[in-house]
Amino acid sequence: MRRHRLLNVLATATAMIAGIVMLAGLLSDPGSDWRTLSALVLRLVAVTIAITVLIGILNLLGVHLGRFVRAERGWPYSVVILLVAVGVIVLRILDRAEIWSGALEGEQLSPRVFEAVQVSIESALAALVVFFLVFAAARLMRRSVSVWNVLFTAAVVVALLGWLPVRELDVLADVREWIVRVPVSAGARGILLGVALGTVTVGVRVLLGQDRSLRD
Amino acid sequence: MTDSELIISLLTIAFSATLIGAVIARRVPVRLRRIPAYDAMPEIAADAVESGHRVHFSLGSSAVGEQSTISALTSSEVVYQLADRLAISPHPPLVTLSHPATLPLAQDTLRRAYEARLRAEAFRTTQAAWYPLGMRSLAFAAGAAAHSADIDAASSVLLGRFGTELAFFGENAVRHDQVFVAHSDNPSGQAVAYAQSETPLLGEELYAGPAYLSRRPLHLGTAVAMDVLRWTVIMAILFTALQAAL
Repeated sequence: MRRHRLLNVLATATAMIAGIVMLAGLLSDPGSDWRTLSALVLRLVAVTIAITVLIGILNLLGVHLGRFVRAERGWPYSVVILLVAVGVIVLRILDRAEIWSGALEGEQLSPRVFEAVQVSIESALAALVVFFLVFAAARLMRRSVSVWNVLFTAAVVVALLGWLPVRELDVLADVREWIVRVPVSAGARGILLGVALGTVTVGVRVLLGQDRSLRD
Repeated sequence: MTDSELIISLLTIAFSATLIGAVIARRVPVRLRRIPAYDAMPEIAADAVESGHRVHFSLGSSAVGEQSTISALTSSEVVYQLADRLAISPHPPLVTLSHPATLPLAQDTLRRAYEARLRAEAFRTTQAAWYPLGMRSLAFAAGAAAHSADIDAASSVLLGRFGTELAFFGENAVRHDQVFVAHSDNPSGQAVAYAQSETPLLGEELYAGPAYLSRRPLHLGTAVAMDVLRWTVIMAILFTALQAAL
């Protein structure tokens, strides 16, 4: 219990000090000591985040190995993930060892394999997003017919029709452009402003060392 | 007013309002306006415990150490409040995320929830699952949504930073009859959350989450500070607009 409390105090103190240093650095002139110190803290953060990628990979392997071992639903997909992950890591190691010869000499195969698979899959998934969003708009109207839902659906219909390259629908293209330029921009800025204000207030709590993740 | 002066003014107002709000909250009951998502969340936890189902949480691409750090911290606090209620169940919650820097935060959040319920032995680090990688990752959305379906989750609670990939989670929730609560601090993800969820959280409502779920004085003070800052900004905008018009 005492060790726990000491670690909590250290964590809280570290977070508060780092936050105050960063704040002082942002408010200071370029080249000042505070700015230099905050740049050092940022570099430390960048290195730490790079290490967490390794933690993430180990977690990915652990989660899916566990699903395979316990034969949970969907375990064949976990086997595929494990095999592909190991395969890509091995491929990358072979690329770095420059082991390829003949027609493949000097080639880096892992980026090519990644692009060939990842780009294709992401493109296919991105195409599905359009249909999911249209179905979601339709379900919204089925759920409840309120003023805001009607407005939302009308905006979606106008936006979709406005994109069509049909001369008779030019007026809808103008309406779509106005919708995007005025109410959508205003709404998005309102949301972002609200998020920024929420960030400021929660940030104050973190600077005071009162965030639960530091204290408990 | 320079940028530095503006930052210092905003921080001073936020700091003062938070402390004053916390003092007021200790003395008088503070009534918060009703947000359906926060009415639904305790029910989600209770239903999951009673029915023996699991709950899927996702922090999306919220990243500790980047712009969405505060979103990650607040989302994890909300997850903690619900995981604390779920920790008594033998069916642990699942937390998915797509930024590796947030993985330790998610794992620690679950660990603390289990320790608070004196069930530390039931915690497993694999209850938090990372799927690569980063913003607008469709691979993450597809993988995490499939994972939540595989564990037969009764609900999905998405908090933090999402883009249009949130649509995968929503579609998955409809197909598998999951209760779906969604939020994104990104406008495009927010639009998808509004369309797909019956109880979405809009914009800054996430940051008031700890106040709704824990009712601790400092969290209530934060909610008061948000309202004070919001009205300050509104007055400043109106004043500036009037000044420009006259």
